[in-house]
Amino acid sequence: MAMPNAELKDNGGGTEPKIGVFVCHCGTNIGGVVDCEKVAKAASTIEGVAVSKDLKYACSDLGQDEIQKAIKEEGLNRIVVASCSPRLHEFTFRNCVEEAGLNPYFMIMVNLREQCSWVHMKEPEDATAKASDLIRMGVERSKLLSSLSPREVAVEPTCLVIGAGIAGIQAALDVAQKGFKTYLVEKEPSIGGHMAQLDKTFPTGDCAICILAPKMVEASRQKNLEILAYSEVVDIDGYVGNFNVKVRMKPRYVDEEKCVGCGVCTEKCPVKVPNEFDVGFGMRKAIYVPFPQAVPLKYTIDAENCRQLQGKKCGACAKACINDAIDYEQQPRDLDLKVGTIIIATGFDTYIPMKKGVYSYWESENVITAMELERLINAAGPTGGHLIRPSDKTEPKRIAFIQCVGSRNHKLGIQHCSRVCCMYAMKNAQIIKEHDPETDIAIYYNDIRAFGKGFEELYHRIRMDYGVEFIRGRPARLTTDPETGNITIRAEETLLAKITERDFDLVVLSVGLLPSQGTMPIQKMLSLPTSPDGFLQELHPKLRPIETAIDGVFICGCAQGPKDIPDSVAQAKATASEASTLMIRSKHVVEPLTASINDELCVGCGLCTDVCPYGAIELQDKDGQIKAVVTEALCHGCGTCAAACPQRAIDQLQFSNRQIMSEISAALSHEKAAGGE
Amino acid sequence: MSEVEKVFISGLHEKLIEDKVIDESQLDPDFRKEIIKFGGKDVMTCLQCGNCTGVCPISLKIEYKTRTTIKYCQFGMKNATLSTRWVCATCYRCYEHCPADLNPAEVMIALRHIGIREGIIPPFVKRAASNLMGHGLTVRPDESILKEREKIGLPELPQSKPDWESVKEEVVTIIKTTKYDRLLGIRGDEDVSE
Repeated sequence: MAMPNAELKDNGGGTEPKIGVFVCHCGTNIGGVVDCEKVAKAASTIEGVAVSKDLKYACSDLGQDEIQKAIKEEGLNRIVVASCSPRLHEFTFRNCVEEAGLNPYFMIMVNLREQCSWVHMKEPEDATAKASDLIRMGVERSKLLSSLSPREVAVEPTCLVIGAGIAGIQAALDVAQKGFKTYLVEKEPSIGGHMAQLDKTFPTGDCAICILAPKMVEASRQKNLEILAYSEVVDIDGYVGNFNVKVRMKPRYVDEEKCVGCGVCTEKCPVKVPNEFDVGFGMRKAIYVPFPQAVPLKYTIDAENCRQLQGKKCGACAKACINDAIDYEQQPRDLDLKVGTIIIATGFDTYIPMKKGVYSYWESENVITAMELERLINAAGPTGGHLIRPSDKTEPKRIAFIQCVGSRNHKLGIQHCSRVCCMYAMKNAQIIKEHDPETDIAIYYNDIRAFGKGFEELYHRIRMDYGVEFIRGRPARLTTDPETGNITIRAEETLLAKITERDFDLVVLSVGLLPSQGTMPIQKMLSLPTSPDGFLQELHPKLRPIETAIDGVFICGCAQGPKDIPDSVAQAKATASEASTLMIRSKHVVEPLTASINDELCVGCGLCTDVCPYGAIELQDKDGQIKAVVTEALCHGCGTCAAACPQRAIDQLQFSNRQIMSEISAALSHEKAAGGE
Repeated sequence: MSEVEKVFISGLHEKLIEDKVIDESQLDPDFRKEIIKFGGKDVMTCLQCGNCTGVCPISLKIEYKTRTTIKYCQFGMKNATLSTRWVCATCYRCYEHCPADLNPAEVMIALRHIGIREGIIPPFVKRAASNLMGHGLTVRPDESILKEREKIGLPELPQSKPDWESVKEEVVTIIKTTKYDRLLGIRGDEDVSE
């Protein structure tokens, strides 16, 4: 962000306004509709306007030179640039006037492109009149401007990464390698996330854990990186550079210092429960590590299933442990961290099929989700990679994949495409075919989305080399034979326009990706906006894809939207770079255009705290009276609070109530609008 | 031809699409607009997944596919939808199952509106309309039905109430005011026997 120096001149304030108006043609974007020359001429007659010119491209070097020349030669102290949206060129023109020796906040922009020429392309005359009106309003507002200086806040050189899937691990590693202290918080007993559960990865077929485990180990060895596994973030406050975070470490009932991960305890434990990591297919003990490559390799007692912790007599693990690491009395511990930047990598949850749904997931044992299949074909899974179907433990010979389950479904309110299901279904089809080429596989799809690098090649390969059948149609009914457990799928093969009924031994639902349960609390703590699909919203879909509305908070991986591993890693690296940039500078410049509260008018009703989308206002006790207080580093100057305040106690700097009123009166004064004409 | 097809499609054999290439001359670009005008607002949103066909009780029985009909509409192949538009039972199962939350049945209803306005009306529709105008009922039990009822031991049909005639008159007023009779070309006293 090209921000001006903190030391700014306060020239022009208080003196008689000498205004320069610059009307930009923007090539034909504005000039093709609005008569810019006429508009500039009309503006020159407004009281206080000393210079009024039309420029071909105001943002070009030539245009900027013209503005700077006018400031120097005519001694202008207010600049109105009538061109495009301030989102595009506000910084350009602020820098331009600053270079000419003026406080940059004495420059305002009037939007003649997005809000005039583009929307009134077919009414050039009216557009010209409107342009004149808009400029007159801008000129009146410019008269009431005051000089402002940006503030600086110190940035704590510490980073918090929430969620330790592949995205979180990568982000944390990158930040730590740049020399910053990094905390990596994960709610599960081990880092690794969903990637650790997968068998192979598309499109290349790399073994997921084989490429993930080295990164997990690296994370545990990296000296700046502290892994806080089996912990949750319970509170965040503060602002960019100065976040105060409370992390709750759940009790493992095992002393992490003493446990060496030998596994003797788990051998002796008498309790067997389904393993969540295997999506319920495999079993684990009440004292466990979720998978052999777990990092940190520390055992955890599952309090709900442990006999001792449930008040029954047991203590088998404590007796077995040679290091005396078992501690049944362990309590949750709270850690208070002060961090400068936060990276959110809270990932996704897979869609859980409906009860009583068409796909009979809950009624039929042989209808499974893709995540369950991943564990069933995984060499480290409960069956050792030997694919069997749940009902009778036989090898399925006919397998169907059903695509778009819990994706692209308006009935469920899930409109988005999950982006990975087409490819993971093909990848799994390939693995199954490699194990047993005699298996018949059909993929019921609506559209195949093979857009990534190497994806189309995999799509081609599984048809050519493996003969996987693609049926274009969304299944309408699944019927299970109660005796054999086989499933008949009725679907229209749309390319034939025929209704087909085919029998399968096993049906795999390619379930979509949804925002994870763990994302919600973090989103609430930080008041982060979400997009309509429920995932966290980036600041700009194209140009600021990993930043959020809160400065110093970045998002990566599936927390931002469904994506595959390479995209998650790329985003993670981007967040690490962005967070590091902020911390290397050690200072963050805060835009001075914030809300300001008049304590004399504020009655402490708290309406502003409710409407603020950034959580920047809170009520505080000031000498026994409750008043609203703005945290300037969090305020984005959106003006929502100023509009909501029933007492008119809040002014949005550069858009104060007086300034807005001056604009309104200018807009309504049509006699003046006639101007020189 | 199955029984269903006889009842619903008889007299409406559409012009078969025999051409090897369907060119612009066979397409009506404004067809979709017409459909939307008559309430089939979802016609262009359909992604052709075929779920509707799979759940359609009619598609299972005869050579009619909900999805294909929608595709013809999107494409502007008006002639291809002439007869099939009448077989939809408007049970709304397609609407219930559509993953895009669209309503194909509304498109079918719109097609009927268009057909009627172009004078393409199957005999059974005319018969029902005529019954409604002449007797206040779309389906009028004739002798054979009454005999059948008696044979299987069903009670006699309830007699018309005394105010029946006035109800019928109201129906006729509605029909005349809305020009429904002129739209379908009925008088109400046509010979409606099979």
